[in-house]
Amino acid sequence: MSPKMTTSRKRLTDLLDPEFMNRLDSLDFLSRKIMQGKLQGERRSKRRGQSVEFADHRPYVAGDDLRFVDWNIYGRLEQLFLKLFVEEQDLTVHIVADISSSMSFGEPSKELFIKKLTAALGYVSLVNNNRLNISLFSDGIIGQLSNMRGRNYLHKMADFLLTADCDGLSHFEKTCKQLSAGRIGSGINIVLSDFLFKENYDSALRRLIGKYYDLYVIQVLSAQELSPDISGELKLVDIEDTDIAEITVSTALTKYYKRNLNAYCNELKDFCTRRGAVYVLANSADSVESLVLNYLRRIRLLR
Amino acid sequence: MEWLTPLTAVYAALITVPLLLLLYFLKLKRREHIVSSTLLWKRAVHDLQVNAPFQKLRRNILLLVQLLMLLAILLALAWPILSLVTGPGQRYVLLIDRSASMNATETDSQNNKSTNRLDTAKEQAKVFIESMRSKALFSLKDKSDQTMVIAFDNHAKVMCNFTSDKRQLISAIDAVTPGHDRSSLSEAVVVANAFAQPAGTEANSQSTVESAKLILFSDGRIRDLNQLTVGSDDLSFHCIGESGSNIAVTAMQARRLFENPNQVEVFATVANYGRTPVTCDVQLSLDNNVRSVRSVTIPPAKTDNGTESLSPGKIAVNFSLSETRAGVLEVRQLHADSLACDDAAWSILYAPESLSVLLVTSGNIMLESALKACPIARLEVCSLAQFDAMDNSVMGVEQPFDVIVLDNCLPAQLPKCRYLIFGQPPEGIDVSMPGQLENQVMVDWRPKHSILKYVKLDNIYAAKCFQLNLPRDAEVLAEFNETPALALVRRNGSVFLLVGFDVLETNWPFEPSFVLFCYNATNFLGLQTGQNRQINLRVGDPIIVEGLNPDITAKINGPGLAGMEVKPNSAGIIRFVNTSEVGVYSLNVPDQPLRFFAVNLLNEQESNIRPVRELVLSGQNISAQESNISRANLPLWPYLVCFALILAFLEWLIYTYKVQI
Repeated sequence: MSPKMTTSRKRLTDLLDPEFMNRLDSLDFLSRKIMQGKLQGERRSKRRGQSVEFADHRPYVAGDDLRFVDWNIYGRLEQLFLKLFVEEQDLTVHIVADISSSMSFGEPSKELFIKKLTAALGYVSLVNNNRLNISLFSDGIIGQLSNMRGRNYLHKMADFLLTADCDGLSHFEKTCKQLSAGRIGSGINIVLSDFLFKENYDSALRRLIGKYYDLYVIQVLSAQELSPDISGELKLVDIEDTDIAEITVSTALTKYYKRNLNAYCNELKDFCTRRGAVYVLANSADSVESLVLNYLRRIRLLR
Repeated sequence: MEWLTPLTAVYAALITVPLLLLLYFLKLKRREHIVSSTLLWKRAVHDLQVNAPFQKLRRNILLLVQLLMLLAILLALAWPILSLVTGPGQRYVLLIDRSASMNATETDSQNNKSTNRLDTAKEQAKVFIESMRSKALFSLKDKSDQTMVIAFDNHAKVMCNFTSDKRQLISAIDAVTPGHDRSSLSEAVVVANAFAQPAGTEANSQSTVESAKLILFSDGRIRDLNQLTVGSDDLSFHCIGESGSNIAVTAMQARRLFENPNQVEVFATVANYGRTPVTCDVQLSLDNNVRSVRSVTIPPAKTDNGTESLSPGKIAVNFSLSETRAGVLEVRQLHADSLACDDAAWSILYAPESLSVLLVTSGNIMLESALKACPIARLEVCSLAQFDAMDNSVMGVEQPFDVIVLDNCLPAQLPKCRYLIFGQPPEGIDVSMPGQLENQVMVDWRPKHSILKYVKLDNIYAAKCFQLNLPRDAEVLAEFNETPALALVRRNGSVFLLVGFDVLETNWPFEPSFVLFCYNATNFLGLQTGQNRQINLRVGDPIIVEGLNPDITAKINGPGLAGMEVKPNSAGIIRFVNTSEVGVYSLNVPDQPLRFFAVNLLNEQESNIRPVRELVLSGQNISAQESNISRANLPLWPYLVCFALILAFLEWLIYTYKVQI
């Protein structure tokens, strides 16, 4: 093992346990769609190319490589046909993670949870030689690592995640515009955020939904948001835009809050389901290991 | 319901209600709390406001509770009073009858509960005290009622002076104990007037202070109503009691027959105050041993047509028994009735006694003959020299003679005894003799005194007599025209009956009264000086024992007393006045036999327990109040304050419920 690798493992262990990483080694991404890759890889693609898996025949035209002519058919029919094979390409995994100010909220914080989850998914992607893109956003994309492939990028990914701080307003619409304009290519797209945006998330998410993407929406909320433990006459201050809401906490108000939260999450879930995306709600107090090793395998994001 | 200080509440309301509203609007100082997003909270608040139609009310329920609480306190400040009795503060004197008839028990037919009349009177007195007006809060001009409590039987006892302290008054009423004496109101009225009169004013002067109103709680059986001059406006009479049937022993006497002292005759009268004849058993006991029981039928009480007064049906019961020893006789009627203290009477029976007399004389045939004529068991005669030769200490301690008669002789020492002294009085008894007088005539004497009973002294002439200067405590029994002739002096535990002349210098020996005097004098002195023989007493009479050593400590036992210590005064006299209950009292003097005293009620009027609903005072009639005293002037502010406290608790509960999830 090279000294460089030792360093990268050390930094990565700040986010992931070695034991957890060992278990992640056996996992790989599953895509519900057959998508076009960039380089030759291990995944079936729609392209015809060089592989061992036969796909189709087509008539020979001048200029075709004579090595792919099916001589058996020529012997029977005295016509030249070419054998076509399924092209195997690599899979691209896009992870879009929210690191706006609101992610620092919660005990344990949503930031840590998202960083751990990003690292775990990125680890699975890199060790399986998938192409990995990580984009961190708050008021637009504030950091991006693109086209990582192979274990060599583990160090870079860990360094990238650990040095990013939560700051700024969250502007999801702007982020999605930048992502769609960046032509990042097709692949699995995993969006990690609390989705508590003042603006509407509909138009932003629509940009990420399409035939080129297999979209997974993971909403991360803290325990304090799922079940608030506050009382008395309070002036609630929004951590991002310092917006103020004066409330008198009562049983009725808490009931309405929870009802609104459920409605909000269900609305997001319905939105995703109707558009072929997968919605996952995660509690930042739960363990990342359990989420990755159990739930994400159950919904067949990983295998 | 009336309001004593409504303006106070209005002023307080004008200040506090706006203040509370202001505080309610200003009070919310919200705590800052950082959240990841206010998005959902704002939606929740919005939903809450939209979906809850009574949300305004729910938000303000604390204000409503606070307003209610404030209202309760303001109403309490207005001093609401239920059943208000208006008028300026008054002064009352509660006169509570604690005489024997107030011990009668009444059975309530509804509750089947027996209550004492005195307890009923005390309960009503307490209700009266509770209804007293107190001084209103923040009021400078109002005055509260003031009340004084006097308990009376034959004597008045001030339980509490004028005060408006209800707790003190109620404890004073609780301290009233039942007595067995007769009831007399005049002393109580005099005491009440004396206390009601402000200091420094004449009794007859017109005072600015309103006279105190007398509130009498009694069954109306008061013997001296005719001597009272109380206006009907000044006296409010609350009659206690219902029933009137009672069986009582109203008279009792026991005596030994003169001819046969071993034979004792007991006479008793049993009276029936009910409307129907009663057959009951009358029991005679001697020292708690039943000696005889006799069944008698007592006729019913009759009402005299002229006076409409009730005269009880009576029957006389005689017992005869043979007894040589001393003892305590008890006559008791065994029929259950309302009043217990008159069901029995006691009499002390003494052993038949005989006197032993020593005559010290140089020869006086007249005196010796007269003494021999008296029923004296032993009469010894000696000269002065022989008397002086006797052992003085033995004479003083053992006292072999009941009476020593000194005839014109002055012994060197006088041992403790009882002396009949003719001629010159001895020294050391504070009697001085400036000189002699001649030709004295007896001018005055006390025929009711037991020494001079049946003794006529109107023809007594003395050629010579001694002029006596007596001490202040001496009891003069007879007087010559210039000097006392007969006197009783008590000194140093001895009793001296002084006869200030030589009988041979007078014509007295030739009068029959001389023998009678000698008989009476030896009997009086020999049986421990007359008054000590008053062992059959009425309730309230003092127990008096004379001739005791001033240094000793005696103990008295009796009903309600157990081993109470009493000490004689410097003259060697014990005077015990606390004979408020009927029964047998015993006095235990060290080195002396136990002495018994019978204290009896034996009063026909007090045994008549039928309540009198109309008092006939001198000149006017006062009827009893129709209904019992009801609670008045009930202040409602404690209930309002309690309500305010409950609201405060409710407010705390609501607040806790609202803020806790």
